Amino acid sequence: MVAVVRSSFEDVTVTHHASQRRAYLTLVLISLFCMMPFFWVVLAAFDPKASQFLQIPQGVTLDHFKNIFANESGMRWVLNSVVIVGSATILTLIFAGFGGYALSRTQAWWKRPLLYGIILVRIVPPPALIVPVYKVMLFLNDWVNGLINQFTADVEQQQMLSRMFSFIDGYLGLILIHCAMQLPLAIWIMKTFFDAIPKDYEEAAALDGASQWQTVRHVLLPLALPGFAAAGLFAFINAWGDFLMPLMFTSSPELQTLPLGMFRAFLRVDAIDYGFLTALAVIYTLPAVIAFAFARKFLTQTFSGGVKG
Amino acid sequence: MIKLTYEARRQLGYRFMMAPALLLMAAFIVFPAFYAFSLSLTDDALLGFAAQESSFVGLRNFSRLFGDPLFWNSLKVTLIFVIGSAVIGQFVLGFLSALALQRPVRYKPIFNAIICLPNAVPEMVVGFLWISMFASGEYGTLNRLVAWFGVDPQQWLYTFPLLSIIIVNTWRGIAFAMILLTSGLAAIPKDIYEAARVDGATDTQVFWRITVPMMMPTIFLYMFISTVTTFAIFGLVYTLSRGGPANSTEILGIYIYNQSFTAFQLGYGAAVAVVSLVVSMILGIIYVRALKVEV
Repeated sequence: MVAVVRSSFEDVTVTHHASQRRAYLTLVLISLFCMMPFFWVVLAAFDPKASQFLQIPQGVTLDHFKNIFANESGMRWVLNSVVIVGSATILTLIFAGFGGYALSRTQAWWKRPLLYGIILVRIVPPPALIVPVYKVMLFLNDWVNGLINQFTADVEQQQMLSRMFSFIDGYLGLILIHCAMQLPLAIWIMKTFFDAIPKDYEEAAALDGASQWQTVRHVLLPLALPGFAAAGLFAFINAWGDFLMPLMFTSSPELQTLPLGMFRAFLRVDAIDYGFLTALAVIYTLPAVIAFAFARKFLTQTFSGGVKG
Repeated sequence: MIKLTYEARRQLGYRFMMAPALLLMAAFIVFPAFYAFSLSLTDDALLGFAAQESSFVGLRNFSRLFGDPLFWNSLKVTLIFVIGSAVIGQFVLGFLSALALQRPVRYKPIFNAIICLPNAVPEMVVGFLWISMFASGEYGTLNRLVAWFGVDPQQWLYTFPLLSIIIVNTWRGIAFAMILLTSGLAAIPKDIYEAARVDGATDTQVFWRITVPMMMPTIFLYMFISTVTTFAIFGLVYTLSRGGPANSTEILGIYIYNQSFTAFQLGYGAAVAVVSLVVSMILGIIYVRALKVEV
């Protein structure tokens, strides 16, 4: 009797070890697959003789990174990306903060249709919008440039204003389109976070004589902070990585952002500076990776909205 | 001056707070989506006579569309791409990693971080990294890897274009499947497993009789989300192959772009967009109804 019990116990430990080994093997193989493409970009960025191929560097250099900041276009791409995606993220947070709060608190008839509508809007594939969005942007662009021409007759000023406020080949257009694309998910996230804040808190503050602004500033904002963090991180990651909008709405070199600038530099097949581009790829990727590391714990919470961030 | 009650003022306030977000989404997503339908009924073009004066052509774009082998090719490529990468590739590898991470393995956070890394990389960089992986000639990374198994150097993006973009998208999406499926696995009560063990069930039996049935809602959610997002992919494939060679990787998004901005046929591009919109809206409505999403 004792012997039987022991042998079955050994069986269990044997299968336990076998499946444990299987688990490690699975994880190691999948991890290798995931890491493989990164070796090249990380090594080449520090390799004085960087090429298209994975190779052990003969020396280590920081020249490629220095080049980015010395080279006018590299620095400009970085700054343009930061300004455009940064403004779009902030704008998204403001609008989604108000929108999410209203959606969470209201009991009006439009609550339900709007929430379902937002899920459907999230599902619209951006490539399907390229033609009509281009037309909308063209229309707004003509309107804005008409205003600018009325406002000043000075050509230099016109060009400057046009660069700032144009919808095609201008900062404002890119900022607003990125913001619009990120809003559905951001509103959904904010609404879920506001749902978790009891209405009583606001009412208690109001009873204690706090003004509307004080309630928002001292009660709502601190409690909703994780929501803003989640919404902001996802908006940033998605807009930062987006390739389609810059491809459609930028043409002049002064407005080029990282994805498009890198893509166009990479198309000049005969004169690709691999060191410069890999260093730039590292710089372009780092903020996204850092943001993703913070956003990861919110990821499962956004699923209820039906669509991943 | 009409005095509003406290409640009425609040209700009005909610509408004002909603307004800016609604306006932006309406102008750049909802209106364009409907506008695509009306554009698809015209011969609008980016250049030439039709650019100044586009006219109503009825369903001519659609009849042309359904007779266009390139459109059917694009639909087929999209279907294979979605099934190959989202339904099979990412799902199988993501499920395997989620199951492995359920076990008491060491270095869990490290494995986790490595698997998540590809998901965090911007689309353009994904294309850049994999062009180096797929580089032809004997020094290409993938060619050196397969050389260990005695395979001759290949021109991956030319010989196996569709398989190549499926591999890249699988690589990118494992993390998402893993994270979602891990949360599904964690929600299965542990005592069911213990009861099965006591009854002498084997690992395989436990997997097929308990894990899979209990995971069905999560798997369904995963399939929906990944299908919809893979359907909307543009930059990843555009930076790798721009739809080529010979339209072999021309997924719907790229077909729309090429028809509209390379062939300059906006009306025809809009007709393809309408097909893509209708497909994704059908998926979306099925999802909202089937899961009865809590709002």
